[in-house]
This record gives sequence, C-alpha cells and structure tokens, in this order.
Amino acid sequence: MKFSLARQALILAALSLLPGVGQAIYFRDKISWRSPIPPSEMVSVNQAREWADSAIWIDARPDEDFARNHVSGAISLNEDRWNELLPQFLAAWSPGKKVVVYCSAQSCDLAREVAERLRKEAQLPDVFVLDGGWEAWLKQKR
Amino acid sequence: MKTHILTFALSFIVCLTARAELKWEQTAVELHPARGDKQAIGHFKYQNAGKTPIHFKSVHASCGCTAAQSQKDQVAPGEKGEITATFNIGDRTGTQIKTVTVETDEAANQKTVLTLKAFIPQELEISPTFVFWKQGEKPDAKTITVRAGKDFDVKHIKVTSSSPDFQTKVEEIGQGQFKIDVHPNETGRLIASTLTIQSENSPKTFYATARITTAPTLPVAPAGQKVPAAPVAAPTPPARPTAPTGQTH
Repeated sequence: MKFSLARQALILAALSLLPGVGQAIYFRDKISWRSPIPPSEMVSVNQAREWADSAIWIDARPDEDFARNHVSGAISLNEDRWNELLPQFLAAWSPGKKVVVYCSAQSCDLAREVAERLRKEAQLPDVFVLDGGWEAWLKQKR
Repeated sequence: MKTHILTFALSFIVCLTARAELKWEQTAVELHPARGDKQAIGHFKYQNAGKTPIHFKSVHASCGCTAAQSQKDQVAPGEKGEITATFNIGDRTGTQIKTVTVETDEAANQKTVLTLKAFIPQELEISPTFVFWKQGEKPDAKTITVRAGKDFDVKHIKVTSSSPDFQTKVEEIGQGQFKIDVHPNETGRLIASTLTIQSENSPKTFYATARITTAPTLPVAPAGQKVPAAPVAAPTPPARPTAPTGQTH
C-alpha cells in the first residue's frame, strides 16, 4: 500500500511536469523571455547618486516622456532617433565616466537595449542600467 | 491506482477545455521588414470559442515603440477579430522582440502575452561606432571594422569625415569586410567628427564618431558628501547629416 502511494505520487508529479516540458520544447524559439540583467550591469539609485558628477545619466524613454520630465541633467538617447541623439551623448562622455541608463520600470527593455548598444557598438565601458528605472528615481527623490 | 490517474487526467483535460474561450490563431509573429521600412505590423487573430461574451480590459505594449490596438472591446461567442501591433522601427537594428499583453475578463485565462519578433536587415555592421583620443594623446590611427550584413553584397564603401581635422583611409579586406583607419591631425584641441559611411548602390547612410576627449575624471567623492547626480550638459554635437527617410540603422 505504502509503495503504491509513493508510486502514484511520483507518477502524478511526472505528469504535472509534462505540459511545462511540452511548452518549453514546442515554443522553444517563440518565448519572448529574456535573461535578467546581470547584477554587475545594474546600479541602484543610491549608488548612482553617489557617483554624482562622475556619471552621465541617459534617459532611454521615448521623446514625449523625456519632454514631460527627466532626471536633472539627463541626456535623451533612445533607439527611435539613435543616429541623431548619439553624438550629443558622446560629446558629454569622457573616459572614466560611468553611464547610468534608465527607462520606465514598466518597460525597462529600452534601457537594457540602449545600454547594450553603447557597450557593443560604441564599446563604452561602465554602462549600467538603473534598477527600478524612472519610478525608483522618483520614489527616492521624495 | 488506475482510477486515481484516470481521474487526474480527466480533471486536467476538463480544466484545459474550460479555460480555452478566446482562441488565438498564433501568439507569436515573426516579421521581416524590407530595407527602408519604417514600421513592421503584426496581426494576432482570435476567435471567441466560448459561450459567453469576452471583454478586453486592456491591451498594453511592452515599449513606447509599439502601438497595439484591438478592433473591438467586446467579442461575442463565435466572433472573430484581431489585435494589431505596430512596431516603429526607428533606428533599431537586428532582431527585435516586443510583447503585447492582452487582458480580458475571462475567468480562467485573463492575461495573454503576444510576441512580435522583427528581423531588421543590417546592411553594414560597424565596430566600434566611436573612436576617441584623450587630449594630448599621440594621434595614432584607430581602426573601425565594417562588415557587410548577411544577404548583402558590398564591394566598396565610401567614408567622409565632417571635419578636416580627422583623416580616414579605407582598406578592402575582401568578403564584404573593410578597415577604416581614422586619425586626427592633432589631439591638443577638443574636436570631433562625424564619419559618414556609405556602401555602393545604396542610399542608406551609416555613422561613426571620432572625438578628442578630456582626460579621465577624478575619483568620486565619498558617499553623502555630494548632491545627487547632475550630469554635465552636453556640448553642441558635431554636425551630422540628417538621415534619409526610412533609415533603419
């Protein structure tokens, strides 16, 4: 009886895994998830504030959001107008400066993508994504 | 034991059928916009396979670059419709994945995530797009590598510097690869240049930046001794030609 119960439990556990395994195989190329940003590429609001003038802040949100409000001194750089905005950012950058990229926490892929392009295409070091994004900044500011 | 497994299997199947009211033809769409396209549009078709009407509570895109629209707010039983997701390409390149989250008042399956995957053709891959010299540094040449993207046949490229303070020399390596050697005439002044890169027979323009920068910044003051970040205002950038309509890089 005892063996039978354990076997049933195992069979049920195995069955419960089947849909997940099936989905993982079937939708292998279709799932839109992206791996989380490594902690070494993120920075908290407090840490970024401590960097003070040795950091450049980039607002990766769309132009309308930037026009509405942004971190004081932040430079707008988004992929909608990358070619036009990049030189303005590069003019402010100098070796040794850290770069803090933020966007809205609800759609923070924008900051990740801008940070990735700066690292990969412009080959800039010390590019970080702000943890919690614009909302976290606002919360800390209060 | 067989009865237990059968009961479990049946309840599992019943659960699956009970929640499948709004049936999607596909929840992931792959798009291949042509060179110069400004937008990529994905259509996600659905049908209400249940017996009660379904209401859309919200349709929300993962980024401001994508606009998602539902044709209707309510879907009657048996009725078909679609969600349209319009992705503005802007200056994006490569593979772009955007999602649209659809919320309905269905009891069992309130949220559905629709995925739009766009492959934006990349004619030239430029690495790096930024070369710099520290002020006072020896004005040695720095190299930018240019490689033709997959499916593109590029035999020659033309490079133009916006400033006479920077010289460029293009070397054709072959197999769609090129080397651009860039060097400033001097590094005593804070000067910059926009390098315009064009491949033959293509109206598309690519850019790189060359700049003399200031020396590295001093170490940061200890925590609590300074006010929050107030970045230096960006100086006026070098004149960069306006990208032709339809630029996607």
